[in-house]
Amino acid sequence: MRKHKLIQLLVLVIALVPSILMAQAVEKNSLSLTLKYYNDNNVTHHLLVLAKSKIDGKFQTVPNIPVEFYITSDADKANLIGKGKTDDRGQAVIEIPPTAKVEWLKSPNQNFVVVGAATKKFDEGRGELAITKAKIKVDTADGRIVNAKVVALVDTTWTPIAAVDVIVGVRRLGGILNVNETQTYPTDSSGGVTAEYKRDSLPGDQKGNITLVASVVDNETYGNLSSELVVPWGTKSVYMTNFDHRTLFARRGYSPLWLEILAYSIVVAVWSVIIFLLVQIKNLKKLGVE
Amino acid sequence: MEKSAENKIIEDLLPQKFGKQGTIWVISLLAVCALGFYAYCRQLYYGLEVTALRDYASWGIYISNFVFFVAISLVGSLITAVLRLTDVHWSTPLTRIAEIIAVSAISFAGLIIIVDMGRPDRFYNLFTHGRLQSPIIWDVIVITTYLFISLLLLYFPLLPDLKIMIGFKERNGKYLQKLYEFLGSFWKNKPEQFKITDKAINILSVTIIPVAFAIHTVTSWLFATTYRPGWDSTNFGAYFISGAFLVGAGGVLIAMYVFRTHYKLEKYITDEHFNKMGKIVVLLALVYLYFNINEFLVPAFKMKKAEEEHLMGLFTGEFSPIFWFAISASMLVPILILIFKKGRTPKWAFFAGILVVVGSWFKRFLIVTPTLLHPFLPMHDVPKNYMHYFPTWEEWAIAGGSLAGALLVITFFARIFPIVPIHETIIETDSHEKA
Repeated sequence: MRKHKLIQLLVLVIALVPSILMAQAVEKNSLSLTLKYYNDNNVTHHLLVLAKSKIDGKFQTVPNIPVEFYITSDADKANLIGKGKTDDRGQAVIEIPPTAKVEWLKSPNQNFVVVGAATKKFDEGRGELAITKAKIKVDTADGRIVNAKVVALVDTTWTPIAAVDVIVGVRRLGGILNVNETQTYPTDSSGGVTAEYKRDSLPGDQKGNITLVASVVDNETYGNLSSELVVPWGTKSVYMTNFDHRTLFARRGYSPLWLEILAYSIVVAVWSVIIFLLVQIKNLKKLGVE
Repeated sequence: MEKSAENKIIEDLLPQKFGKQGTIWVISLLAVCALGFYAYCRQLYYGLEVTALRDYASWGIYISNFVFFVAISLVGSLITAVLRLTDVHWSTPLTRIAEIIAVSAISFAGLIIIVDMGRPDRFYNLFTHGRLQSPIIWDVIVITTYLFISLLLLYFPLLPDLKIMIGFKERNGKYLQKLYEFLGSFWKNKPEQFKITDKAINILSVTIIPVAFAIHTVTSWLFATTYRPGWDSTNFGAYFISGAFLVGAGGVLIAMYVFRTHYKLEKYITDEHFNKMGKIVVLLALVYLYFNINEFLVPAFKMKKAEEEHLMGLFTGEFSPIFWFAISASMLVPILILIFKKGRTPKWAFFAGILVVVGSWFKRFLIVTPTLLHPFLPMHDVPKNYMHYFPTWEEWAIAGGSLAGALLVITFFARIFPIVPIHETIIETDSHEKA
């Protein structure tokens, strides 16, 4: 009888093991979504979401998470402004579409929501963002001085903002190179900063043009603002190529002259001898006929 | 010289029909060629995928074979040109053997390059899109030139012999008679004709030496102009030429023994010929050994990081059995055999010749492939089999087929034409008697 009970217990354990394992397999990680706002040159606006999750005790970016972006703090279908999927860096980006204009113009402040769909490994995630609409303008003055001004929308008026950190630099290889040794400038009471351009020998394009950038990065109230201005302050870049030069590594027909002379002289000399000898065979034939 | 003695020489040296052994030999070679052809058809159909050539070892035994053929072809200039210009007469019976080895080898060197191409139908691109700056183009030019010069050097001394052979109409048969007449019916033994041929042979002997040096130097530059461990050497031209002379001389030793025993030419290819050729092989092996010591000892002394893996692979690693076999077989053992007078007898010299040729083939493989397996910038995440190279049966069959093909050309040449020059032998025997 006792033996019989033991068998029953064993069968029960075996039957339960897969479901216990399954239960462990479906345990999901929570998803953290960070939403950021970007004002690009006061022309376009875009949102970026960064998906992260704590995996093996570390926060790691999460790719392939379907995300939906909403304007206002209500994740209602009527407020949907775009969809995306996080890339290998855990990021997804959308431009705020013109269809959001009505909602956008309602208030100087704006809320956004992003919702990350639940997947096999992750729970549904949600991120929110509230910004005050602002913009930055960049200009120059004599003596290679760069001026930038940050203004925010208060009621219906663009008002200068003080104590906002501004980076003033030059667009370089996808990043920003500061115009001098100062990393950031806080705006004064008029919302302005002034920076002296000290990068004298920076290469520009063929006309010497470089792109100045003034930007506010990850500001809690205003988000990311940037403005660009093209100025002829760089050195002119002359496009140099030796594609058409005669070199040992050039393409067909562009070998160095000395090599061509040498090679063809040798070929002509040796083959002249061969042709001469072939003529001698003809002479031998003639002698044989005579 | 008495007419009977002259007739005896002619009778001895006229080409002979294949006997039983000869027929078996030819059938065997044809069978190997046929297998090679079948393997090549598979390669054409399926592409280079049937080979073990991959992104690392893109040159395998085909290119090793090519370098081997180019090397052995150098013997034509050694025996025919160098010895003729230095007024060495004992080599006269060996000149035609050397020249037909040269012609056959250089023809197959050209063919094996085409075999190595995945798309042989694009061969013409070498000419339409080739760059004069590339050693590959120089190789194409110089191989073609060397083939023509070797053919002429084979043809001019053959003319008086053709005249002799045309006189044996019944023995020749219909087709051979037509061939002989096509090639040499105009030869009338006139003094003016001899004057022209002597002059032509002298010109060719002078011309072939720089061309022969160029062919092997340029082949060495295919490697040396590439910055890779094992190839990055200023020594490569001389290293290749010395090795080429050695393998060519080894090949002549083998051919001398085979023709002497099979055609019973003991009176013409004498023990003294083996003695002298043996001495030449010792000298050439010593020179090649010197270049090998230079080529391996100096980099090994410095043991630069990039070279280390390659060198250790040769000395103690994956390729060490082949490396030490090649060094021993192509140089050390032949020197030990041939340095003694007893070793310069026909049988020993034949054995030494085989060692030289086989060892030299593997030496060419070691020059070509191990370097490719050790690039300066290893590829990321390549399959493991890319890092090793062992030829597939198709590669062995094609390489074997090309070697058999080269031997077949030499065999058929010896069946059609006198392998020892008849006219020159008569003249030299006559002058010896008069002296």
